[in-house]
Amino acid sequence: MIAGVVVLASLLSAPSNAAIQDATKGGELGFVPPAPGSYVLQHILRAPEGSVLDERSRSRRLSRFTTGKITLLSLIYTSCGDGSGCPLASHLLRQLRVRVDTNEKLRARLRLVTLSFDPDHDTPEVMRAYADGYLSDGNGPPWHFLTTRSRREIVPVLRGFGQDVWVAADGSSENAGRLPHLLKAFLIDQHGWIREIYTTSFFQPQMVLNDMTTLLLEEEH
Amino acid sequence: MLRASSRSLRLAAAWLASFALIASPWAAADETCNSPYIGNLIKGQEDYVYVWTLGIKGLGDGSDKLVTIDANPASKTYGKVIHKVSVGHRGEAHHMGLTDDRRSLWAAGLDDSRIYVFDIAKDPAKPRLVKTIADLPAKTGYVGPHTFYALPGRVLVQGLSNSKDGGGVTGIALYNNQGKFLASYPMPTEGGGDGYGYDIAINPHKNVFLTSSFAGKTNYMMNFGKLVKDPEAMKHFGNTMVLWDLKAMKPTRIFNVPGAPLEIRWSLNSADNWAVTATALTSKLWLVKQDAKGDWQAQSVADIGDPSKIPLPVDISIRADGKGLWVNTFMDGKTRYFDLSNPEKPVQTYEKVTGRQVNMISQSWDGERVYVSSSLLANWDKAGDDGEQFVRAFRWDGKELAPAFEVDFLKEKLGRAHHMKFGSNALKTAFEGAPGRPSLASR
Repeated sequence: MIAGVVVLASLLSAPSNAAIQDATKGGELGFVPPAPGSYVLQHILRAPEGSVLDERSRSRRLSRFTTGKITLLSLIYTSCGDGSGCPLASHLLRQLRVRVDTNEKLRARLRLVTLSFDPDHDTPEVMRAYADGYLSDGNGPPWHFLTTRSRREIVPVLRGFGQDVWVAADGSSENAGRLPHLLKAFLIDQHGWIREIYTTSFFQPQMVLNDMTTLLLEEEH
Repeated sequence: MLRASSRSLRLAAAWLASFALIASPWAAADETCNSPYIGNLIKGQEDYVYVWTLGIKGLGDGSDKLVTIDANPASKTYGKVIHKVSVGHRGEAHHMGLTDDRRSLWAAGLDDSRIYVFDIAKDPAKPRLVKTIADLPAKTGYVGPHTFYALPGRVLVQGLSNSKDGGGVTGIALYNNQGKFLASYPMPTEGGGDGYGYDIAINPHKNVFLTSSFAGKTNYMMNFGKLVKDPEAMKHFGNTMVLWDLKAMKPTRIFNVPGAPLEIRWSLNSADNWAVTATALTSKLWLVKQDAKGDWQAQSVADIGDPSKIPLPVDISIRADGKGLWVNTFMDGKTRYFDLSNPEKPVQTYEKVTGRQVNMISQSWDGERVYVSSSLLANWDKAGDDGEQFVRAFRWDGKELAPAFEVDFLKEKLGRAHHMKFGSNALKTAFEGAPGRPSLASR
C-alpha cells in the first residue's frame, strides 16, 4: 500500500538573485538543495581564540583569521601519509576557491584558512611551501596557511573547535607520525561564530557554497 | 555550473574510503544504528555495554543509573556489572545517544525531562556524569526527550510530548555538544501532520531525515492495562512519519503510517535509498524509499508476527550490510530476524523467545553479537514473574542465537534495563594517548 503523501508547498522558496541561483543547482548532489537564504545556520559555537603563526612566521591572534569575513577553516597536517586525506581536504578548498572566483560578492567577503595541528613538523616555511601547491589557480579569495609554535598552542585550539586528533591505537611503526583524525571543516561568520561543521560524511562543495551564500545574504540584510 | 572533475571525484572517493579505518563515512551503529556523523565506530569486539536503567522504588538506591557491563570475552569480569553511575533521582530513564566525537553519552528521563551528559572518553569503563541539562521544557515547551541524534558539533533531541497538555504534539530541540540550547523545530501539525514525534534518522547523502511518532506523556506514563482499556487514550498515538529537508530543517512530506511507527533505520549501504521502521500497534514493517522518479514513498511491506495478537514490536536493529533486521516484540518476548535482501519483501527467517518481556536490541558491527534488554516503560512493563529485568547477550552464527551471558537487573538491585550503547577501550587510547604516545586529543 502506498501511503498518502502530502507535499508541504512553499516551505523552501528561493530568493530571486541570479548570481545566487548559479550556486544552488544540485546536479552533482543528486538532490535539489534548499536555496541560499531560505534556511538558517545556527550559531553553534564561538570559534576559539589562540596564537598562530602565519606563512611569514609572524605571530597573530587566530581571531584575525576568523572574524571580519566569512571563513572556511580546515585543520590538517601537511605530512599526512594518506594521499587522499588531508591533501584532498585542501584540494576541496582549492575547488571552492576557484568556484568563488567567479562570484564577485562572495569572493570579496570570503577567506579560506588551513591550520596545521602538527607544529612539530609544519613550520611556517613548510606551510608556505604547502601553500604554493594550492595557490596557483588564479585570484580567488585570500587563503591563509597557518601553524602554531607548539603543541601547547594548538591543543586548546583543537579543543575549542572540537577537532579530535587521535593516537593510532595499534602503535605500530607504520603508524608512527600519523595523526588520525575525522576531518572537519568549519564555516565561521564575520563575528567569529561557527555556523556549520562539515565532516567526511557531508563535505559537498555545492552545499558549502550555498552555506557561504546564506551567510552573505544574512550580512546584507 | 562547474562540475567536479573526474580526478577530484576519484580523490573524493579515495578520501572517503580512507576514513573507513577510523570511521565509516556512512556509518551508524547500536553499532549499526547511530548517527552517520559519529566517528570512532567500534567495528571489532566491544568492551562494554552501557545500559541506561530505570530506577525501581525500594530496589537498591531506587534511582535511574548508567550501568556498565563488561562485554569482552577475554576479560576476567566478562558478563559482569563493573560500574554504575546513579543520577540520584528517578525520572523514567529511557534512551541515550552519542555525540559525534563519541566523547559523550546523552541520556534522559521521559518523566522529568532531564538530560544527563556522561563522559565516556576519559575512562570508557567508568562513565562520569559531567552535566545535567534541565532547560528543555523552558526553552521549547517540549517534554519527554527521547532520541538523541548527533550532528557535527550538535545533538538533535526529539521530544515525545509537551508541557502544556502532556499530549503528543511536540518537536525537536537542537543543542550544541557543550549542552547549550540552539533552536527548536516543531513537528508539523498541518497538511496531514499529527505533530507527534519519536525517532530521528538522517541520510546525509540525500539531505533528508525521517521522524516517526509515538504518544504523549499522558499515555506513556499511564498504566498499560488502564491505557488499553481507555478508548479515548488509545486514539492518541502517532500515525505519521515526516520527511525533512536536513539542511533547511523543514518538513517536506508527511506519510500516513498508522499505529505508532517507532525506530527508523536507514540502510547503511551508501548506494541504497531506503529506510525501515516498525509500527508498534499495527505490527508491520514499513519501507520508506525513493521511487523511479526520485519521489519518496512509504509502504507497508511485511507483518511482524500476527498483528491481530498485538505482539508490540518495540525495537529494530539493521545489519551493517543492510541485508537483515532484528525485531523485538515486547508482548510475546520474541526476537525475530527478517531477511532484508529485498527490502520491499522482508521475510522472517528466525525467531526465538529471549525473555518474558523484551524491548531493546543492539548488535555488534559484524552482527555476531546481539544484546537484548527487558524494560519498555515503568508503567508498561509486565508484573510478577513476567516482569523480569535483564540484559542478555547472544552469539549469532546466522542460524541460531546462542546465549553468551546474562545480567539479572533485579538480583543486582539495579532496576529496569532499557537502552544499550557500546564502549571500547580503544577510544581511551585514541583520546588520552598511551605511554610514549601522547594524544593531541587529551582533554
